[in-house]
Amino acid sequence: MYAKFPDGAARRTDPAAAAEVLYDAVIVGGGIAGAIVASRLGEAGKRVLILEAGPAEDLTLRGYEAYLDRFYSAISKDNQAPYPVVANAPMPRGTDARRIFPGAPDASAYIVQNGPFATDTTYTRVLGGTTMHWEAKTLRMLPEDFRMRTLYGEGADWPLGYEDLAPYYTEAEREIGVSADVEDQAYLGITFDEGYVFPMKGLPLSYLDRMVAGDIDGMPVELDGEKRELRVRPFPQGRNGIPNPAYDGGKGYVPRGAVSTYQVEVGGRCQGNNNCVPICPVQAKYNAGKTLAAALRTGRVDLVAQAVAHKVHVDERTGRVTEIEYRRYDRPDSPGFTTMRARGRLFVLAANAVENPRLMLASGLRSSSGLMGRNFMDHAYLLAWALLPEVAGTFRGTNCTGGITDLRGGRFRRRQAAFSVDIHNDGWGWARGAPMTDLIDLVDAGGRYGESLRQGLVDRVSRQLQLAFMVEVPADPSNRVTVDPAITDSLGNMRPILTYDIPEYTMRGVAYARQLSKRIFARLGAEDHTAYDPAFWGYAVHTGEGYEIRGGNHLAGTHVMGRDPSTSVVNADQRCWDHENLYLVGGGSMPTVGTSNVTLTVAALCLRSVRVMLAQLASETAPIHLTSHGAARGRSPEVAQ
Amino acid sequence: MTASTIDNRDDLISYLHAAMALEHATIPPYLTAYYSIRSGTNSDAAHIIRVVAVEEMLHLTLAANVLNAIGGTPDLTLPGFVPTYPAYLPDGEDDFTVDLRPFSPEAVETFCRIERPGEAPGAGSRLVRTADRARPVLVSSPTVEGMRFYSIGEFYEEIIEGLEKVAADDPGLFCGDPTLQVGPEYFYSGGGTVTTVRDLDSARRALRAIAAQGEGLDSGVHDADGELAHYYRFRQLQLGRYYQVGDRPDSPSGPPLGVSWDDVYRLKVSARLSDYPAGSELARAARGFNADYGAFLALLTKAFNGRPGLLQDAVWYMFRLRDGFNRLVRNPLPGSGGLNAAPTFEVPTAVDSGPHAPRTVGGTPRAVTR
Repeated sequence: MYAKFPDGAARRTDPAAAAEVLYDAVIVGGGIAGAIVASRLGEAGKRVLILEAGPAEDLTLRGYEAYLDRFYSAISKDNQAPYPVVANAPMPRGTDARRIFPGAPDASAYIVQNGPFATDTTYTRVLGGTTMHWEAKTLRMLPEDFRMRTLYGEGADWPLGYEDLAPYYTEAEREIGVSADVEDQAYLGITFDEGYVFPMKGLPLSYLDRMVAGDIDGMPVELDGEKRELRVRPFPQGRNGIPNPAYDGGKGYVPRGAVSTYQVEVGGRCQGNNNCVPICPVQAKYNAGKTLAAALRTGRVDLVAQAVAHKVHVDERTGRVTEIEYRRYDRPDSPGFTTMRARGRLFVLAANAVENPRLMLASGLRSSSGLMGRNFMDHAYLLAWALLPEVAGTFRGTNCTGGITDLRGGRFRRRQAAFSVDIHNDGWGWARGAPMTDLIDLVDAGGRYGESLRQGLVDRVSRQLQLAFMVEVPADPSNRVTVDPAITDSLGNMRPILTYDIPEYTMRGVAYARQLSKRIFARLGAEDHTAYDPAFWGYAVHTGEGYEIRGGNHLAGTHVMGRDPSTSVVNADQRCWDHENLYLVGGGSMPTVGTSNVTLTVAALCLRSVRVMLAQLASETAPIHLTSHGAARGRSPEVAQ
Repeated sequence: MTASTIDNRDDLISYLHAAMALEHATIPPYLTAYYSIRSGTNSDAAHIIRVVAVEEMLHLTLAANVLNAIGGTPDLTLPGFVPTYPAYLPDGEDDFTVDLRPFSPEAVETFCRIERPGEAPGAGSRLVRTADRARPVLVSSPTVEGMRFYSIGEFYEEIIEGLEKVAADDPGLFCGDPTLQVGPEYFYSGGGTVTTVRDLDSARRALRAIAAQGEGLDSGVHDADGELAHYYRFRQLQLGRYYQVGDRPDSPSGPPLGVSWDDVYRLKVSARLSDYPAGSELARAARGFNADYGAFLALLTKAFNGRPGLLQDAVWYMFRLRDGFNRLVRNPLPGSGGLNAAPTFEVPTAVDSGPHAPRTVGGTPRAVTR
């Protein structure tokens, strides 16, 4: 079944008319967080306005295929390759990262990198947000990830536990459409409701995974006095597989295919294409357009795109947000814009863990805790690559189907970071640009063509094994997003400034990961080709050894939730302590990032928050007194140092 | 009404073999049009054709389920299973044939005719006399020589009535091995799902689903689930606009769609192996395609005979067929007046026919007469 996007919905709402409407909720951001909140509020009969920074185009199959064409013809196949560059709503790109030298921040790209560590962290500013390039791994967090301080004296405790989030994980797995088998996913304390099955059956391990498993399953590891055996385990995935007839008490599940304004039938099943990241050719991989389409179909959700939030206005007496001032650009390719405002009872910032604090700080709203923008987290990825002794069918299957998750949790977290390990079905793609680099080398250096070129390429890439260690990064207040009024984009919006270093705790996990990779390669009889280049932008040294560290785009921690207003920005419901009608939702609320890709947890947190939003709307029945600042009269924002 | 042409289980088995051959026979024309479209162009048309082709595969599977349910043995490798193109249309007119054509107004017109709602000329009979027995037809009666059906829907109505009649006399009609049924866990189609068949009711449901998805039966433009019938999917290409639920047949009111007839490889229509220069690389590619297609049909035959899990292998097999198409349609066919090559679907009876010219099911390869 396709996800019907109402024809014309991206343009039908007149911003001037919308400014006269008092919406039940104004949401900034049309990614998965905003789409989930909008759909649930809309279904509950609430009037909602979504402001989206990206271009105002309906989501159609043709439009999606234009993204695909751009990706196919792009030289750089980075995460943003499918998406047009729009100066009015700029996006960071993985290719932006440059080595940072002390005292010389890199302001050449949208995110100003203050260092000392440079990251290639990205997010996508189009309708659908970063789910337009995500990989769609949907791991739940471990119960211990919510209690890191108590259990291991490291990181922070959440104001809620696994059991509080579990029902929303279940709901998120429905919304995204997760393919997995419970028997593979119940480990390290992860539990499921009695009789639960995922919407769709698990996707099979790739041939490469099974080759690795042949030698690795049962490999003993001892860490901090705990012995365990490794095994290759399938990942839960937000891509369409075989519906499980036992789902939902035997009702089954109907996969959601492509998004379009007209009837199409594509994307109901994963075909095993190998460019899941950035873009699934058939939309078997979930993207937030599917949820957004449902939100818009309620008829109560309006969408104004090409609308970049500029300032959050607050009533100084009550602390309540009164309106969001935004700049609506007329065309993606020209700088003209109109200042508009959006008014509502509730406001929901669902941009992401960089854009949410950027907007708040640009509005002079630093949180009375002083923590707005602080505790920025991402995953630190360490790659290790080798050649297997025999052909392993690399490049078959989706980007990643299996990995090693046994070191996601355990007592060792007292001392060093945990990690999850991906086995990459795209070979050395991430580390060394395979298969393009292999192709270029065979042609340019090897003079190969025709049959010999085809065979040469198969010989080279089909033995490639790349392990990606996704290492947790604990919250550190000095890792942070700030703004500077002097540093703005073409619409005059302040750009995010990132100050980031990899904590020692993470580096200990990185060093251990590299040692483990050597043992794994030895056990597989694989030839280790891993080499870390000191000139690499993300080169980091730990106890004399250097490593290439990459970002995971799993943004978290910039408006952390907590029980105490003095040590957190939002409460467990993601409601701002300082502004009772403002919710900051998404990864930014997470006090720990653990070893899960963040999207499933973001979705679960949003589903949980929607209940609270509805309760708040129901309780605040009295007319709201609005102080209209008039967008142009807003005070100059205070700016974090 | 004339007397039924179906009297017993053997008649039903013959009809259901014919049904599978019929459902399959539409697939090569759809695939030829689909793969003639230059990649990245004609999104609307490509998706419409692809969906219909995929649903014909669903229909093939449904017919196999019914055949298995009554104790028959699906076999896609039987001689004559793949027709020799051009073949006659099933709609009662004798002046149109189904060709293997590149995407073109003629191809769309043909597709509309294949899927057009049926209306027998009178209440008298679903059967009409075949005009020219020398050419293969898509929907002929397997039990009454020289007769064929006016439309695909009427062909299925005949089978349904036959099933009812035979089942009334023979309570053991549905004696097939239930483990041979292909269920929804093995087969995915964008629209419609596989029904497993174990009795008259489920058999009726399966066959009505085929007819309804094709021509809309009497349910109008959309079916009860809001799915557009094939005929109307193709009509969108002629009318330049998508249908929305509630539209009348002559006036779709959805978003506009565009067709670029020039972004198409101009293929030799219903090419035959004899059109290919002997010994050429292109001829090898054409034979290779036919061998792959034969192997694919053999794989499906196994899947329909107790190994439904093989339908997952069929997925990557179809990618192989796509590559085979691309090898041909992107290359000019010498001596064809500037047209490109295309698969001939002359499937060898043995998968490994060696370097010699394959033995074809439709007799020796011959030039198309048009």
